[in-house]
Amino acid sequence: MTDETVSQHKFLGIPGNVWTLGMLAIGAILTTIDFVLAFFYTPLVVGAQVAETRIINGIAVSNQLLFSQKIFYFHVPVAIGSFLVFFFTAYYGVRFLMTKEKKFDTRAKIATEVTLLFVVLTLITGDIWTRFEWGVWWVWEPRLTTYFIMTLLVIAYFVLRASIEDEERRATYAAVFGIIAFLDAPISFAITRLIPSSVHPVVLRSGGGLTGSQLVAFLLGLFGMLMVAWVVYQVRLREELAKERIEALKASLEG
Amino acid sequence: MRQFKAILKKDIVMELRTKEMLTSMGLYAVLVLVVYQIALSQAGASFDVLRIAAGLLWLAIIFTSLLGLNRSLVHEKDQGCLDALLLAPIDRPVIFFAKAIGNLIFLSVVEVIVLPLFYFFFLAGKTIGGPIWMIPLPMIIGSIGIAGVGTLLATMSVNTNGKDLILPVLFIPIMFPLLYASVAATTAVLIGDPGYATVYWNSLALGAGYDAIMLLAAYGLYEFIIGA
Repeated sequence: MTDETVSQHKFLGIPGNVWTLGMLAIGAILTTIDFVLAFFYTPLVVGAQVAETRIINGIAVSNQLLFSQKIFYFHVPVAIGSFLVFFFTAYYGVRFLMTKEKKFDTRAKIATEVTLLFVVLTLITGDIWTRFEWGVWWVWEPRLTTYFIMTLLVIAYFVLRASIEDEERRATYAAVFGIIAFLDAPISFAITRLIPSSVHPVVLRSGGGLTGSQLVAFLLGLFGMLMVAWVVYQVRLREELAKERIEALKASLEG
Repeated sequence: MRQFKAILKKDIVMELRTKEMLTSMGLYAVLVLVVYQIALSQAGASFDVLRIAAGLLWLAIIFTSLLGLNRSLVHEKDQGCLDALLLAPIDRPVIFFAKAIGNLIFLSVVEVIVLPLFYFFFLAGKTIGGPIWMIPLPMIIGSIGIAGVGTLLATMSVNTNGKDLILPVLFIPIMFPLLYASVAATTAVLIGDPGYATVYWNSLALGAGYDAIMLLAAYGLYEFIIGA
């Protein structure tokens, strides 16, 4: 069984190799621009009032300006990215159940690995943020719970895979669990938002969206992160395909 | 329909003969209550158990149901009954429903025992905020979800190397939304703060929504599981 390597795929006439490198470059550039804009260009978000006006550096300051809010430009893109990649776990799970072809199971597994990476990044940045923040962006609190549940779901996926030896059963069970887990994640989020909790009040954002310069930085970061996610996925996929070819070669040598 | 009744009857008759699962589930629930007493023993006289009573109750139910779900399927696998069921010309969804309803019945029996016991041990003498008839509803909705999704996950976990140990790992993250909604509804009733009725019906509606979505998914996916 010879499976085409990713480099031999041509999409719009450009070989897969070049696409991956190109995406990596663009993704890295966009993410870097996002960081630069976030730190130097976007205005600071106004936080809570301080008790009395003080003079700092010759300027009268009456609000706490939140520097920690800038982590938002990294945190939200990875969060959205993790959820989008998780969709592919469920998608490849569905396709596997429909066709029983091994390649979909491989892709589902890799998508889940990338999801794990992004979920861990989300949790770390979210935790840093809640340490430093001051009360303006409390809307993320139920999300931290939901993300923890998502981490547990992804870990459960890998535990399930590790505990089954038969290949077809492993792929089937993993596909089913992936689909159920993907259904569970938005439900968790909706429920923690919709049911008020007396311990962690959800403070809703007042005064809506992002101003122009913030929006630019945010969108750049979002697309950059998505491209980086795609690249990680492709690199991992190539590794898996190469492994499969080695196994096939070994088998044919022995047989 | 006849197939469904046949499988369900088999489960119930087997259980009534040995009474194995009900006794162990019932005893386990009581032992969990004893552990609660140990946990709360140093909390002080002014500690208001009513605030966390719903959480404790649902915790007991979740752990007892993990036990029951495991046992209901381990027997089937060990004695080859699962293979026999697959060989017989029975529709796969029927097996799912029969097993799920069987689990639901056993869970309900245990709940009927545990709820009054819990009241007797921890809540005697305290005033319940809302009307009493509101208490069984979250239990019903929660149990339906636990039985349905639990049957699917238990069938998966019984066929792995880890056997029963894998089930909690799979079960608890998936159950989280339902558990959250059920605890919210039950707490609303028990404490009865002003405005509890909105929280109660809200949470119940969300729990019912979870049940609908997840049971549909479990029903659709079961035949893939049981064939593998």
